[in-house]
Amino acid sequence: MREFLKSTRFKILLAFLAFLLGIMIYAVTKGGYSVMGSSLLNTVTKPFRKTANSISMNIEHTLDKLSNAEKYYEENQQLKKQIGELNKQLTDYDELKAECEELRKFVTIKEEHEDYILSQPCDVLGYVTNDPFRGFTIDKGSADGIEPYCPVVTAEGIVGITIEVSEHVSTVRTILSPDLSIAAVCSSSTADYGIIEGNILSAEKGNTQLSHISPGNKLKTGDLMITSGSSGLFPKDYAIGTIESLGYDSNGLYYNAEIKPCIDITRLTSVIVITDFSGKREEQNENQDNS
Amino acid sequence: MRIRTTREKRIFYIKTTLRWLIYYIIIFGCFIYMTSGTWLKPIILIPVALCISVNNNQYASVLTGALCGFLIDISCGKLFGYNAVLLAFFCIVASLVFELYLRYKFINFMMLSAVVSYIQCVLDYHFYYKMWKYEGVERIFTRYSLKIWVYTVISAVIVFLIFRLVNHFLMPKEHLTLEEAITGKNHN
Repeated sequence: MREFLKSTRFKILLAFLAFLLGIMIYAVTKGGYSVMGSSLLNTVTKPFRKTANSISMNIEHTLDKLSNAEKYYEENQQLKKQIGELNKQLTDYDELKAECEELRKFVTIKEEHEDYILSQPCDVLGYVTNDPFRGFTIDKGSADGIEPYCPVVTAEGIVGITIEVSEHVSTVRTILSPDLSIAAVCSSSTADYGIIEGNILSAEKGNTQLSHISPGNKLKTGDLMITSGSSGLFPKDYAIGTIESLGYDSNGLYYNAEIKPCIDITRLTSVIVITDFSGKREEQNENQDNS
Repeated sequence: MRIRTTREKRIFYIKTTLRWLIYYIIIFGCFIYMTSGTWLKPIILIPVALCISVNNNQYASVLTGALCGFLIDISCGKLFGYNAVLLAFFCIVASLVFELYLRYKFINFMMLSAVVSYIQCVLDYHFYYKMWKYEGVERIFTRYSLKIWVYTVISAVIVFLIFRLVNHFLMPKEHLTLEEAITGKNHN
């Protein structure tokens, strides 16, 4: 061993380890963009990962159906009941819509979400291995106009935010993660607000958490929480999820709500990235202003 | 290793090339497996890198360790280079320890895999979760990190068997002279 420590071989190995350490430190300074090696590996392995993931998902779906047949049957019955209720609501909604259309003739309002610039639909390449907060990678990257910290959504609601972008692949952090905070308000009353921030217990159930709830709030189960748009990271008035339960946290100090996201984040197949919207925080401009 | 004839030399090169080709196909397959599906999976590239290291010199070990580490970083969404540094270091240590002190036996390899993957799991837990003081962070260790470690150790058995099979057919055998064989002198 002593001979090895004095040898040139040892010095070469030490230099290589220092080189790897350098790569790691360089990766930290990239500010969300992948280093070239990572980007290259991602691009080369993309088609294989896509195929393997689709096979894997099919197998998991089949096994899931077999093992949870009873649960799905009950869920099916419940959903049928819900459809009945929703159909009734739909009838009411149609009446309201017709009334609204009449009113629209007199009021000119800019179409909602006209300011959004959306990416092409992105396929989910696969979930980040062993991530308890269900981060995932998508098959679009900087070549498709995606930047770090762009909101990732589906038609149903917010999914998360891009955190690392390489040329053809991006990594998404979901709203189940405690590292992502979103200012949220209740869709029925803007006086009831809070911060959407995942935690470990909720993430296990595929849910997220609403904390820092406004004092004297009137939130109740089933209320829809939407983005407030105050941070500039997410567009205003986009659906996040519905309140599943309300109560004090494990310490008994803070009043929190368990939020069920509008979309099942654990079973995503495709998403859309909002690359630009009005009210988006321009970090570069801010930095320039500050300097 | 003593090569006596041109034919033996040719066989040596073919076997070595084929062996490394299979090694890298296995690495690629393991990476694809790690990036697909949604279930918890073993960090199977750790035993793979170690298994290659214990059978090869330090240069080959450090390169394989770094490559496997980079692939783990991509599949697990970690800082690019973090696992590469860790695994390159462990692969050098593994190669040295098996060259100087240990024999290539199942139990030795399993112990090495268990220790290295445990260290990797603990460091991962500390740097990515515990350090940030998430609420109920201990659950991650018990429900994720330990499970992943157990899966990794179990996967090491399969990895060992696969590599044993590959090495059995493709690892060049040492050729000793009659004199060396009698005196028990081994030239590596």
